[in-house]
Amino acid sequence: MATAKKSKKNKKRSQWSEVWRRLKKNKMAMVGLTILTIIVLLAVFADFIADYDEVVIKQNLKERLQGPSAKHWLGTDEFGRDIFARLIHGARVSLKVGIISVGISIIIGGILGSIAGYYGGLIDNIIMRTMDIFLAIPSILLAIAIVSALGPSLMNLMIAVGISSVPSYARIVRASVLSIRDQEFIEAAKAIGASDLRIVLKHIIPNTLAPVIVQGTLGVAGAILSTAGLSFIGLGIRPPAPEWGAMLAGGRAYLRYAWHVTTFPGLAIMTIILALNFLGDGLRDALDPRLKQ
Amino acid sequence: MIRNKKLFLVVTSILVLALALAGCGQKPAEEAKGQKDTIVVAQSADAKSLDPHATNDSTSSNVMTQIYDTLVYATEDMEIQPGLAESWNQVDDTTWEFNIRKGVKFHNGEELKASDVKFTLDRMMKSSKVSHIVEAIDSVEVVDDYKVVIKTKEPFSPLLAHLAHSAAGILNEKAVKEAGDNYGQNPVGTGPFKFVSWEAGDKITLERFDDYFRGPAKLKKVIFRVVPEGTNRTIGLETGEIDIAYGIEPIDKDRVANHENLQLIEAPSLGMYYIGFNCEKAPFDNKLVRQAVSYAINPDDIIEAVLSGSGFKANSPIAPGVFGYNDKLNRYEYNPEKAKELLKEAGYENGFKTELWISGSLANQIAQIVQAQLKEIGIDVSIESLEWGTYIDRTAKGEQEMFFLGWTTVTGDADYGLYPLFHSSAKGSAGNRSFYGNPEVDKLLEQGKVATDIEKREEIYKKAQELIMEDAPIFPLFYKLQNAGTQKFIKGFKLHPAGHHKLYNIYFE
Repeated sequence: MATAKKSKKNKKRSQWSEVWRRLKKNKMAMVGLTILTIIVLLAVFADFIADYDEVVIKQNLKERLQGPSAKHWLGTDEFGRDIFARLIHGARVSLKVGIISVGISIIIGGILGSIAGYYGGLIDNIIMRTMDIFLAIPSILLAIAIVSALGPSLMNLMIAVGISSVPSYARIVRASVLSIRDQEFIEAAKAIGASDLRIVLKHIIPNTLAPVIVQGTLGVAGAILSTAGLSFIGLGIRPPAPEWGAMLAGGRAYLRYAWHVTTFPGLAIMTIILALNFLGDGLRDALDPRLKQ
Repeated sequence: MIRNKKLFLVVTSILVLALALAGCGQKPAEEAKGQKDTIVVAQSADAKSLDPHATNDSTSSNVMTQIYDTLVYATEDMEIQPGLAESWNQVDDTTWEFNIRKGVKFHNGEELKASDVKFTLDRMMKSSKVSHIVEAIDSVEVVDDYKVVIKTKEPFSPLLAHLAHSAAGILNEKAVKEAGDNYGQNPVGTGPFKFVSWEAGDKITLERFDDYFRGPAKLKKVIFRVVPEGTNRTIGLETGEIDIAYGIEPIDKDRVANHENLQLIEAPSLGMYYIGFNCEKAPFDNKLVRQAVSYAINPDDIIEAVLSGSGFKANSPIAPGVFGYNDKLNRYEYNPEKAKELLKEAGYENGFKTELWISGSLANQIAQIVQAQLKEIGIDVSIESLEWGTYIDRTAKGEQEMFFLGWTTVTGDADYGLYPLFHSSAKGSAGNRSFYGNPEVDKLLEQGKVATDIEKREEIYKKAQELIMEDAPIFPLFYKLQNAGTQKFIKGFKLHPAGHHKLYNIYFE
């Protein structure tokens, strides 16, 4: 019994280390991972780099719209606030919204997808047709509608972005569940009397993780972009909290006079999305069992 | 290497093409002198309707003021001059007699008759958008073809100023009846330009009306274009595709003023922008708190940072160009120490949390400065940004605590600037969104409406402004300067303080 357990554990570890080994070979994925790690570290240690009350939201109208200098690395915005400090603190918001909203969609989408896939029939039809209806509405439009109805705030933003991408997760999970449901080890589990819940949680869900992880990584990028978009049109978090999309919108009027106010937040958005996409693509390849040598 | 060469070629050819196209853009401006007879006017939004009774917003008025004439009109110096009414006299306190100009033609060939005036004013009184402008009128009677008598419910001194409002443009009865529900897209007036076509969201084309009673305009065609983004209006001016652009962004002002082909026209407007307090909600039901906040906001910072200097500090709810303006009022000069004292006196030593409701990007910038300044005295403001329609509805219901808004006294008379904002009967959607009520102010505002002696009226309004500023239901931030950028060859263009500008006098040089 003990040896069996141990060997199972070993096998599990080796499966993930195999993925990691293949991921490491992918240069683009490693670039993405490195950039992402740097951004995450900057966000985590943001308070040590720049004080929130004294630097990030403190206005200094005498220094407004200054270009990059030794004092302000990336210049100052329309209220004289340091753009570098705001970008770092803005990364917190972006990462938080990105991860939590994707979490929301994975949980809701996962539950709906596995119910639909496992039971099939009428339930499947009802759930998936509802998802189709949601899919017919552009997700950014859906998010705008949700934020307008609930009012702009960080929480509502995450809910809106999260809910608007539920259907794609439900579809992915359902498709994987369908392919696993009829395999022999599930039949075996049923034969020894395992409950539906146990089968789904212990045997099916772990096998659907790979595509969800890939979609999730790419989804964080999408969520960050949606958040920036919503903030740009004024539906994001409330000022004076720094948010990349809102920073972009704030500097828009000064584009021809102070290029740095819009350029750096724009670059930040671009960089993090590029990094997440590199990583997501790398993960897709690394997790694909058909690519095993 | 070969691939790189190709890329290089592509990039170079794009750059060359871009330069060539940029060069093309300059041409119209250079060619414009001489044979040019069309001007393109850019404004930030499309007209909503060209039926003066269907809307009351400045982008629509800007077009309608070219199409319609009013009985009397206000010059750029806010003096009342005869328009379609040749002359008038006040028979008694409530009766006014107007003599209509003879031989005035509508764009459809009909002649202007007294019956059109009666039809227009009767229709206007039923309109949900603009009836407030003529609510003082009791009845309009046709005496003969060229004479109407207007009776007011009670003595109403600013009647002429109200009839000069662009929404009081005279319509042709026949045209309105023929067009039915589509009148807003088929306007017929007596103005210097007649309506030709309207491509929704893009442009409205007007053409010279040759039978205009003051003589035909020098321009042949006017095209109103919709260019929402301020920066793009400036770029349009620079490339020469736009001849007149309303509302140059503050930051672009210097660029237009210093450009060799362009000129910047700036003029005071009748608009006042303010932070309002909901006087029926704690803590703003306390006068001391409202005064404290007024002392803690520094409009200089807002004028400097947000308006790039195109505004000046307000000391009254009405602008200096408005009849009845009190220039002797003391304003709440920025003084955070005094603000803290007042807060302490009011029992809010440790400050409080509140919300500031706004709509729009200008408001957002102003709100962020106000937020930072109030933080200094311990007031924690969260900015609630709402879509305009929702904002207007919910502030009318009194859900807000603090809010930012503007008010333009289009008639140039204190009655229009003060009564809707501060009379207790106007609470809510009529304009009093600070839900302010003071019996003494009510009495003065009522007296001002009916007083016939000009000096006495002025005195009444000056007193009312004093009381209002003392109570501080709103904190007037600034009077905005309005501006427009035009090509240098455009002459004879003046900005009207009420915000809609006539193009009749424009000529080229």
